[in-house]
Amino acid sequence: MATKRRGGVDGRRKMNIDVKAVGLGADSSDDEDAPEEVTFEKAKADAVRSMRNALDTIKRDKELLKEKRRKRQELFQQQKKRKLLSEDVLEEIELAYTKKRKTLDSEEQEKESEEDESSEDEDEVVNARLKDSYKAVRLKDQIDANARQESASDFIRSRLYGPGTNRTTTNHMLSLKNKTGMNKTAAVQFVDKNWGSEKKGEAEKFKKRWIQNQNMITN
Amino acid sequence: MVEFKVHRVRFFDYMPSGIRCMAFHSKADRLALARLDGSVEIINFSNNYFQEKVIPGNDSRSIEAICWVGCDRLFTAGLNGEIVEFDLERLCPKYTLDAFGGPIWTAACNSEETHFAFGCEDGSVKLFEILPDKIQFERNLDRQKGRILSLSWHKSGTLIAAGSLDVIRVFDVKSGHSVQRILVDKGPAGTHNKDCVVWNVAFLSDYTIVSGDSVGKVQIWDANKGTLIKTHLVSKWDVLSLSVSENEDSIVAGTSEGTVVQFQLLSPTIGDTETQWIRTRTFKHHTHDVRAVTETKTAVVSGGLDTQLVICSLLDKVEVKPSESVLRKVIFPHRTLVSCAKKPGLLLFQFPDQLELWRLGGTDTVGKPGESLPVTRKPEKLLQLKRKGDDHICCSTISECGQWIAYSTVTSIRLYQLQCESNNISITKVSKLPKVLRSAHQLQFSADSSKLFVASEQATIHVISLSRSECKHVHTFKPKSGSSAPVHLLAASADGQWLTSANRHCEINVYNLKKLKHHCMLPVYNSLPSAMAIHPETNNLLIAHADQQIFEFSTVDKQYTDWSRKLHKEGFHKCRIKWHTPITHITFNPSAPSQVMLHDTYMFCIIDQSLPLDGLKAQFYSQLTPKDMSETDRPSKTNAFKMCTKYQPLLHVNVLEDDWLVVVERPLIDIHSQLPAPVRQKKFGT
Repeated sequence: MATKRRGGVDGRRKMNIDVKAVGLGADSSDDEDAPEEVTFEKAKADAVRSMRNALDTIKRDKELLKEKRRKRQELFQQQKKRKLLSEDVLEEIELAYTKKRKTLDSEEQEKESEEDESSEDEDEVVNARLKDSYKAVRLKDQIDANARQESASDFIRSRLYGPGTNRTTTNHMLSLKNKTGMNKTAAVQFVDKNWGSEKKGEAEKFKKRWIQNQNMITN
Repeated sequence: MVEFKVHRVRFFDYMPSGIRCMAFHSKADRLALARLDGSVEIINFSNNYFQEKVIPGNDSRSIEAICWVGCDRLFTAGLNGEIVEFDLERLCPKYTLDAFGGPIWTAACNSEETHFAFGCEDGSVKLFEILPDKIQFERNLDRQKGRILSLSWHKSGTLIAAGSLDVIRVFDVKSGHSVQRILVDKGPAGTHNKDCVVWNVAFLSDYTIVSGDSVGKVQIWDANKGTLIKTHLVSKWDVLSLSVSENEDSIVAGTSEGTVVQFQLLSPTIGDTETQWIRTRTFKHHTHDVRAVTETKTAVVSGGLDTQLVICSLLDKVEVKPSESVLRKVIFPHRTLVSCAKKPGLLLFQFPDQLELWRLGGTDTVGKPGESLPVTRKPEKLLQLKRKGDDHICCSTISECGQWIAYSTVTSIRLYQLQCESNNISITKVSKLPKVLRSAHQLQFSADSSKLFVASEQATIHVISLSRSECKHVHTFKPKSGSSAPVHLLAASADGQWLTSANRHCEINVYNLKKLKHHCMLPVYNSLPSAMAIHPETNNLLIAHADQQIFEFSTVDKQYTDWSRKLHKEGFHKCRIKWHTPITHITFNPSAPSQVMLHDTYMFCIIDQSLPLDGLKAQFYSQLTPKDMSETDRPSKTNAFKMCTKYQPLLHVNVLEDDWLVVVERPLIDIHSQLPAPVRQKKFGT
């Protein structure tokens, strides 16, 4: 649309220029004169020309975009290649797997001794690189996986035990049972000696301090 | 007469792990249970709710969803992003697959059992194809913004409902696109700050979706139109678990406050054909969050963070036996976690991550029956042995003399030599074990501590000879029937001649150690053996089964003894039918060879084989002590069975020399005090 308009504007500009040129030439022709007549064929030719221009520009733009895209794709591929292991190591690994399979077969069949001899050297080289007890793992993946697991367990912990979940202590629940049961007994923190050791310790300290304060006041 | 002095042991800090999810397989009548520490248990409902198999957990494994495929394949998925298939014969993971979607929150299998759907943290639902020997990634459904927390297939296998934060989406499986989006409201005002988490969804075959969310609502939606049909506000806290019965007429929901609510599809007025989901029953058997709930044909099974599995029968569905209609709680494991070295008085406690060795205390005073004596020598903890690696310990044992300790995980076996002088303890690891030993389902030392019997995979038993310098593999026993079920019980005779093993297919084999040959196999009885022991003098094998039956088998004659036949004629099992916990240990009294001691979780009893069996229906308890009774009364009051329920709940009972008894108790309140925080419930008047 823009190109058409452009073509149209250009065409009109050209026509205007023509008109102005004619107008300038003939001093007498001013506002009173009618505009110059443009023949139908000329107008048609102009329109066709402008459309063709427009189509050409569209094609050009498309091709430019295609080029750009292709270049970008190549760039990404190169970057990916750089990231992956080099071709030789990959080939060696593949060879190692196929050789291993082949060596297993050859124990049953005796025909492939020649192939084994030739591939033994490669085998040794590959075995030196990849021992059975080692496995190559990307450290970044491990860290990501741990982080995600942490966030998942945090989610569920905050949902069940986080703020706004209205949780209480086991002491409270069991003490309520003691209070509402058939034989009403004291809270579990008092009855069971192992419970609430911190609170009891703090209570002891507070008692000592209070007694000291009282003694100081009286003295 | 039976009089004992009792070591009452309460320093075993056994702490079970909370239940996270469960799956019931109705054809096999088995329940697979996954706990928070990664262990998986299989409970056989038809065998008196016996804990048939236990697969030990792993520190790095966390289980969020568990699923049966067929009768014998079990899959779990967890927050470490891995899908694990378990081998139920070798009791270990078969393989693990990474789903590459981050932590997996939920898993569901379609009704034809061809595809698996996993809901992941990154918002994608991954479809896996189930192949006969593994599962394979097929494709992803459209990825959504929030994490997928619950999944449910429609019966036809064409639609999947996925619950996320604030929204339920319905996916079309073929195209992978989301065809319906249902917004879940956040409930009454005051909770608008937090998202509403849809913890569970269930897709019924009439295209209704039932959802349980964190606000405490159970809502019923129309999947075709995406509209709400009914809301039930069940609790003020989250609805953490939801389960639909097989014929889709009952839904059970478990909440954070420990209640389990049932909804049934009934018509509100009699004679009306239009049915609605109506809330019917409420069960309050738990004190903490109920994280897993399921329904069988006759019962509602629930489990949660208070570590108890509760099986509550629905009385309108129970048909025949009154014993089935009782409430059952599986609290303690159905195998023994304590080993006792009788001569030096040592106890070995098995925890999932360590072993603890304690020496029993002692007293110098003598007292009257019924009195508790002051402890002069306190029990001391001699050793704490931590395991290596992530796998939990599955079995452990200590020899009679107290000089050898062995334990096994899923991947390795370790053997230690212990030297225990008066105050010094030294432990050395036996480094070179025979290569044939890889992992064990059960370990047992011989009576003279010269051999170690290792029950390995494929029901083979390896015999290892022990000496100060080295350990040699002597022999391997294989069962004649060729079954590969795991062995869970081993018993060795006192004279070192016989070895018996019991496996999960209820087969009991007797092996001759002197000739190193298989001796005979007992006739197979339908119920799983739960405890086994060989008499030190007569070499008779005593077996207790999961349905409370006791048999005695003579290894020499290769047949059941007369006493055993008499016992069954008298009908011993009728008295024992009240107790629902299986017998976990059988032992003998060294000072009275005719006395057999057996115990389950709530009682221990002594059976005197020399006394007559007639008084079974008569009084079972002997309230009076023998010394109180006059001389003439004693013979008439003697009874072959004597039971004591004074010490409960029991983890282990053993008889030492000189009429000493060791009773290891674990009071429930000690377990309750270490559980995570429960919800605060405001009660009137407190």
